[in-house]
Amino acid sequence: MSAVAIDEAKVREIVADCLDLEVEELTLTDHFIDHYGADSLNAIEVLARLEKEFHVTIPQEELANMVNLSAVLEVLSRANAR
Amino acid sequence: MNEPQRVVVTGIGVLSSIGNGVEEFTSALREGRCGAGPITSFDTTGFLRTFGHEVDGFRPEQWIHRLPVEQLGRATQFAVAAARMAVQDAGLDEQELAGLRAQITVGTTDGEAAELDKMMAESVAKGPEHPADQLVAGRLPSHQLALAIARELRLPRAVPAVLGTACAAGNYAIGDGFDAVRSGEADIAVVGGADAICRRTFAGFSRLGLVSSDFCRPFDADREGLLTAEGAGVLVLETLESARHRGARIYAELLGYGLNCDAHHPTAPDQASVARCMELALADAGVKANEVDLVSAHGTGTPTNDITETRAIREVFGDNPPRTVALKAMLGHSMGAASALGAAASALALAHGFVPPTVNHRTTDPQCQIDCVPNHSVPADLRVVVNNGLAFGGNNASVVLGRHDEELVR
Repeated sequence: MSAVAIDEAKVREIVADCLDLEVEELTLTDHFIDHYGADSLNAIEVLARLEKEFHVTIPQEELANMVNLSAVLEVLSRANAR
Repeated sequence: MNEPQRVVVTGIGVLSSIGNGVEEFTSALREGRCGAGPITSFDTTGFLRTFGHEVDGFRPEQWIHRLPVEQLGRATQFAVAAARMAVQDAGLDEQELAGLRAQITVGTTDGEAAELDKMMAESVAKGPEHPADQLVAGRLPSHQLALAIARELRLPRAVPAVLGTACAAGNYAIGDGFDAVRSGEADIAVVGGADAICRRTFAGFSRLGLVSSDFCRPFDADREGLLTAEGAGVLVLETLESARHRGARIYAELLGYGLNCDAHHPTAPDQASVARCMELALADAGVKANEVDLVSAHGTGTPTNDITETRAIREVFGDNPPRTVALKAMLGHSMGAASALGAAASALALAHGFVPPTVNHRTTDPQCQIDCVPNHSVPADLRVVVNNGLAFGGNNASVVLGRHDEELVR
């Protein structure tokens, strides 16, 4: 298990920025693609920014799971610290 | 308006990870050589993947005699060297060349981005107040890729152009030269693509998760992605009449090309648009789908490309499509050079009667229903080959080449 402390506000800020949203527009459960019109490249940007911010490695296969903010937090919680 | 002229390929210049020069390249295609290995041009520390395709044994001064080699970046050196090889291969001497109206068009993805990488690394290391190396800065402009060819080959009447249409750029350049020659605007065209391997593009593809851990395996069930590469492919095009008049050796006839851009998605190809591009090329060539014997696919070995391209091919050619090979298994993805190398290989396949294989192949993906000619080349009596280049942003370009046969009445 990861020993990484996850700052939820920071994750929200990164995701909102990658999706070009205001922080308050971003809910835990709304779907990135269906609701916010994101695409796979936005998801890669989220992944890359999280890796840098939290010093973790997120496997590329997790991209498919990162469908909303709640799922991103879950993915991050099981990511391995570097 | 004059009747459009028939256009033929009479010279080929090649730099690639499987061999430099037309002879070595031809035998490598026949043998199914793979040019992959650990990248040495830059430090891959920290990257998950470390393989690529690099050009070995390139000595620029062997080909570049007039321009100071140190003033040219690696991609420009590739373009100039391949152009010199191509005009020599076409049997054109400098006196003949000097009188010709030439179209010089070079396609590229990265231009001199590798030089820019170096400059940035130095700036980071030494601080922003440290002045940039003027020599390196002078290598950066992308127009050099074509302009340097005109200067080195002393072509005072040349029109130089560089096209930055990403991974389809080589075919775009060939199409440009084809138009210039068939319309009579130019006597010859020296056209193709060139790219040098660079960290920026390697990092980008790595981050997109598109780079293979070992080899590129197009159409394979277990394919992981592409390997970035470098190289150059340059063709000399002239009218059939001019080639006959000179008694030049003709590799193939350039029959037509098609271009389209759908801007559907940043990276993913669009099936309908890829199919439409091949149809445009066939219509321009005056060739029916059932007359095509071989498709040289874009075939990057990424999960998405190979499925989408296969489906597009089946859409155009029906349930019994021609053999479809992916040269990137041997060559890697040499970006702007890729489709130019593909066109060179297509012309050689037509001239010598063989199909180059899709190497590194184990099991064909059931979602890629084509005969990819796995691992071993086969002799084949080819008449027409379609060569695809599909780029990010939905930039597609297909070129159609036909066997040249003096007795064949078309």
